[in-house]
Amino acid sequence: MRSVWIFYQKEMLEAVRSYRLIWIPVVFILLGIMQPLTAYYMPEILGAAGNVPPGMLENYEVPSAAVVMVQALGQYSTIGMLVLALITMNSISGERYSGSAEMVLVRPLTPLAMVVAKWAALLTVLVLALGLGASGAAYYVMELIGPLSWGGISSAAGLYGLWLMCAVSLTLLFSAFLRATAAAFLGLLSAAAFSLAHSLLPAWFDWTPAALPGLSAAMLLEDGGALRLGPLLSAPLFIISCIAGAALLLRRKQLPG
Amino acid sequence: MMLLEATNLRKHFGKHTSVDGISFDIEQGSCVALLGPNGAGKTTTLRMLAGLLEPDSGLISFDGGQPGGDYRKALGYLPQAPSLYGWMSGQEYVLFAAKLSGLNSREAADRGAEVLERVGLKEHARRRISGYSGGMKQRLGLAQALVHRPRLLLLDEPVSALDPLGRREVMELLRDIRDETTIVFSTHVLHDAEEICDHIILMNRGRIAEQGPLASLRSQYSLPVIRLRTEKMSGARKWLEELASRSFVLESRFAGEDVMFNVNDVELARHTILSEAVSREIPLLHFETGSSTLEDLFMKVVGA
Repeated sequence: MRSVWIFYQKEMLEAVRSYRLIWIPVVFILLGIMQPLTAYYMPEILGAAGNVPPGMLENYEVPSAAVVMVQALGQYSTIGMLVLALITMNSISGERYSGSAEMVLVRPLTPLAMVVAKWAALLTVLVLALGLGASGAAYYVMELIGPLSWGGISSAAGLYGLWLMCAVSLTLLFSAFLRATAAAFLGLLSAAAFSLAHSLLPAWFDWTPAALPGLSAAMLLEDGGALRLGPLLSAPLFIISCIAGAALLLRRKQLPG
Repeated sequence: MMLLEATNLRKHFGKHTSVDGISFDIEQGSCVALLGPNGAGKTTTLRMLAGLLEPDSGLISFDGGQPGGDYRKALGYLPQAPSLYGWMSGQEYVLFAAKLSGLNSREAADRGAEVLERVGLKEHARRRISGYSGGMKQRLGLAQALVHRPRLLLLDEPVSALDPLGRREVMELLRDIRDETTIVFSTHVLHDAEEICDHIILMNRGRIAEQGPLASLRSQYSLPVIRLRTEKMSGARKWLEELASRSFVLESRFAGEDVMFNVNDVELARHTILSEAVSREIPLLHFETGSSTLEDLFMKVVGA
């Protein structure tokens, strides 16, 4: 337990020294506030571009606050997820291939402790980035468009964060036995395949973590909505199995090659 | 008293057998050199001792404990190319290492300062590791391996990558550390092994070719030898080959025009060789009687 904490502190120090703790929240904030700003100023933006037939902009209606907030969170499923995969991909694989994993695992640090510490550090970065990003988005939505309940926003952001954390955990699992780029690629690909499968066959995949973004949107649009238990239970299970799998793989192959 | 007993260790990677059933004991307080050419299985052996690789078969028992027991707290390990976090300072790394090995913050701070001073990095303790030179990194590697007062120190080629100055520094440090703990270090340089070790395990192709205390190996392999060199000439070559089959020659080794004979009777051998050289008009360039060294043993094992 103590070794998890020591390793977590090292991970966080690394996140600070590599400016990861700054640039990722900044990206998330920018992504978040861009959505309400563009939704609100769309007529001005289009007008400034010129060539817009007169009358076309008159019918433009600013979408509702809830819809804009949902769209803002939706931004995180593409660029946000890419950024998260980029910081996760090197997490274990970088240490394995450089040889620094060898030097810490020879001490009384179990592979499980190392994986858990790394996961917790990634969770910290994600919570910080998503928290700030969603708050920024919510602030502009409320200033420009209309009121929203903070309860709805935080539960929607929480559900979205859970989905992102599933993708991060999966990338972490790949990072335990693959090279960094392969890990990121497979992590992103699986997340995309998961979402696609869910949108094609919603009935089959309704209980999986891939249903979380939809659930998050429902929190805002339907004001509370029906919180289904399936994805809420399967997501933590999925994350736990990713961590356990990563620890097992790391135990079996502590050294690359 | 035995600190570590390894029995019949075996490890293969795919089809390649890296370590092929080796057994050895490491005595408490001794300094053991794992000597052998590249690819002999030294690194694999050390990694198995360090618990980083699971042996395919065989047992390792530490301090009389159950084979397979966890002794990582008592272990200090320095890999061949230590990869230290470049974004940390030397001091931070040593503290991190100490805490991971179970020292509390206070002990870690005390011991950290102590070992950093000892390896001569006190002034550089607050600098980032990425700015360290190769020799400084190696010394920091030693510091992190020593910080928790390990009972067994495993060092993989600790001086191979260093320039002569860095090499000198690290060897001096090892000589110093030798008195406090048990050291196993691998090297492909016999001279390094002879300089600080009292035991040698000579490996080649995954097997132990020879092992034992340095002094006894030295006397055991201090056989009378005669070294000869002649000018390039077919008659001379023939004569040398003829000599090799004489009864006083136990073993012979040819290397170009150089020949080394292990002999049982130096007087007889010298007399025969010199008189025949004169009578056959062999152009001798070099004649020397002496005794074989560990270097000869090493070359024999490596060359075989």
